[in-house]
Amino acid sequence: MTVVEPAVALSGRPSRHESFLIYARFRYLKIASAAALLSLLLYLIDSPYGSRYGGSWAGYTLGTAGALLILWLMWFGYRKRSYLKDQGNLVAWLSAHVYLGLSLLVIATLHTGFHFGWNIHTLAYVLMCLVIVSGAFGVFSYVRYPRVMTENRHGTTMPQMLSRIATLNDQLRTVALSADDKTAALVECAVETTSIGGSFWRQLSGHYPHCTTAAALTGIAEIPANAAPELAAAMRQLRVLLDEKGQLLTRARQDIKYKAMMDIWLYFHVPLSFALLAALLAHVVAVFYLW
Amino acid sequence: MVEGMQVEVTFLTRRGAAVMRRSHTVTAETIRFGRGTSNDVPLPDIRVELTAAVLRQRADGLFIERLGDSPLRVNGGTTEAALVGPGDEILIGPYKIVLSNPPEGLHAALSVELVQTVGDALQRLMAGSRIGLDQTWLSKRRASWVLFATLSILCLAVPIVLYSMAAGVKRSISVPVDTNPTFLGIAWNPGEISNPHRYFAQNCAMCHQGAFSLVKDSACLTCHSRIGNHVKSAAESDPDLVHQRLQTTRCADCHEEHRGLRSLVIREGALCVGCHRSLTEIMPSAGLRDVRGFPDGHPQFRVSVVADATTRRLTRIDLDAQPKPADHPNLVFSHAAHLVAEGFPALGYKPMVCADCHVPEPSGQGFLAITYKGQCHDCHTQKFDAALPGKEVPHGDDERVMTEVEGFYASIALREGGPGGGAPAPEIERRLPDSLSPPPSDPPGRRAWVRQQTTRALGIIFDEKRGCFYCHVPDNTRGPYHVAPVVMLTRFLAPARFDHAKHTPIECDRCHDARRSQASSDVLVPGRATCVTCHGAESASFKAQSTCTSCHVFHRQELGPMRQVMAGEK
Repeated sequence: MTVVEPAVALSGRPSRHESFLIYARFRYLKIASAAALLSLLLYLIDSPYGSRYGGSWAGYTLGTAGALLILWLMWFGYRKRSYLKDQGNLVAWLSAHVYLGLSLLVIATLHTGFHFGWNIHTLAYVLMCLVIVSGAFGVFSYVRYPRVMTENRHGTTMPQMLSRIATLNDQLRTVALSADDKTAALVECAVETTSIGGSFWRQLSGHYPHCTTAAALTGIAEIPANAAPELAAAMRQLRVLLDEKGQLLTRARQDIKYKAMMDIWLYFHVPLSFALLAALLAHVVAVFYLW
Repeated sequence: MVEGMQVEVTFLTRRGAAVMRRSHTVTAETIRFGRGTSNDVPLPDIRVELTAAVLRQRADGLFIERLGDSPLRVNGGTTEAALVGPGDEILIGPYKIVLSNPPEGLHAALSVELVQTVGDALQRLMAGSRIGLDQTWLSKRRASWVLFATLSILCLAVPIVLYSMAAGVKRSISVPVDTNPTFLGIAWNPGEISNPHRYFAQNCAMCHQGAFSLVKDSACLTCHSRIGNHVKSAAESDPDLVHQRLQTTRCADCHEEHRGLRSLVIREGALCVGCHRSLTEIMPSAGLRDVRGFPDGHPQFRVSVVADATTRRLTRIDLDAQPKPADHPNLVFSHAAHLVAEGFPALGYKPMVCADCHVPEPSGQGFLAITYKGQCHDCHTQKFDAALPGKEVPHGDDERVMTEVEGFYASIALREGGPGGGAPAPEIERRLPDSLSPPPSDPPGRRAWVRQQTTRALGIIFDEKRGCFYCHVPDNTRGPYHVAPVVMLTRFLAPARFDHAKHTPIECDRCHDARRSQASSDVLVPGRATCVTCHGAESASFKAQSTCTSCHVFHRQELGPMRQVMAGEK
């Protein structure tokens, strides 16, 4: 990833795409690093009797900061769906969300004082780590997949691909009219049961073991030697059409897979963050309920 | 020969309400239906077989027969062949063929309509596709609600309910609670409970007696009600800074629970040094020197010695003081004389060792007091007459010694010097030259004889080379044969707690320079420098880590209870 100078137009908004990671010359990375360093400093300064733990004054400070940070990070889910004006640049929010979320790992770990056990407190910490890890995967996928998706599409869009596949389906229908029954049945199957997407596993894996188009291609791979010329011609044409359809299908399915990879991490990130919210609430209440 | 058929075939196409018809007449022997273009009625759809069915004109009417493998439906029923007439419906693939009354001269008239249109290819493609994870059963919202609700109930609501139930129950720590771990005990426990408390601590309410409040002293005092104070109680009207501070310090300020199996006591010296670094300023009446730490910042030890054995007055002197601190037990004793290499005949010429006299007390921490009977008598007997080898005077009471000796001789005089005189008892005859001479028979003579013998014997008994004053100090204020009281301390570094049992492998000589001590005034207790050879600071790497509580005790039982437990409090 190359660092691009922010191309700030007169309006103040960048006219070129600027990755959320390098937004404003890594402003939020710097802020997050400073926060993490400050936490470390706080942790080191305070040496309570016994070992450091979440209930010393530094522990309480780090815990409060961490909890407020968690709430603010979750607020991003609301902000990104809000269309009110003057709420701040969304890419700035995202950049801050990512970097401060990563710094939370440092802050919260120092808050624990490295005391872990089978209890709600460690559960909250573990959930937080899972949220952060899933978010890190999200960052990775947002950096990697758009590019591979664009390359995969070769200049088309998904609606264009689907439209072309539909057209090919119609053409296949027409050409197969003059084919024999077995071929016609294969083509009919290929046309009617074109599976694009499907269950979440299908979309995510890009694996389509029962692709009817592939089956049809296999089925008419051999043109019988004694076939009539029109039948042979029809079959050759069918092969060409099926081949093109197959390539388009592969491309479309790959596109779906990349998109699914860009989406799947959120199905962990969001529910786990709500689990974290509940665990955090329980953790804070527990600490002061049995003070 | 069957003559050819002439059939009118009408293709219907519907667009909305309008119907387009395209008719033509087909002449053939039989009317064949199928996908192939060679058919009489071509049905151009790949859902139809190349040759699907045939319509024949037979003598008894029109017959439709299936030719291919796909099913042929006539009037809703699947059939191989059927007799058809006007009004009948035949379904071949997606096509519906309806027979109607033929015009003049024709055998049949039928309309062909594609009833199962393929529709828009793209639409069908989209209908059969599920693109995007939001089209699947996965739902972020559902998962979020489920997790949030589950955790809130299990980890927040349930423990609160359990705690409230347990808090209302009257507790007794002498009866262990149900040892099955409670859910609350596991879910909310932030750290391992210390070993001594584990048997009751599954019930959080035993210590945490109120929601949202710190653990109160009353919880600890339930068991530890008589824990000793740290300073002597001050007058209520005039509590000084130290007393105030101690009164407002909670038990939990120094005793942390949930820190693991180790004891609750905070080991860090900083806790103690907080007050003790400036004690000379804030509580001079304590007479304690300031301590800043160990070993740096810890003053030289002050040893307790006997200042005056007669009044039992003790004093504490710095081991580095000039002149050197001296003990005054009123005993004449030389360690060096006892530890000679050649030993003593009575002990078979084996050299003596420390353990010959210094017997550890059962716990091993210190040593039993030195007693005449236990340690000295075996060699230093109290015999007073060579002719009476088995006879010894009692030890420990100088008055009694005099009384018994006098009584001994008096009894002899009574027995032998009676009015009629009598033969002397055989044992008396065997006396050596300068021993008793037979008592005269007259009473005044007898009394004088008793006095004389008693004085002689006491002189031997209390002789400083052979008798009491070999070891003891005379108390001339009370008379010639009086022994000054002896006070021998067993603990010299009183406020501290040194455990000899923990130091067993170390030779006595390493710390106590007894071999060269010739006088009982020598203080053989080692000072700080000796300890520091092995003991270092509380974070030492290459010495034994030592902190205040390694040697000192905070709660001192002899000062009375630290907290007054109010009547009615648990």
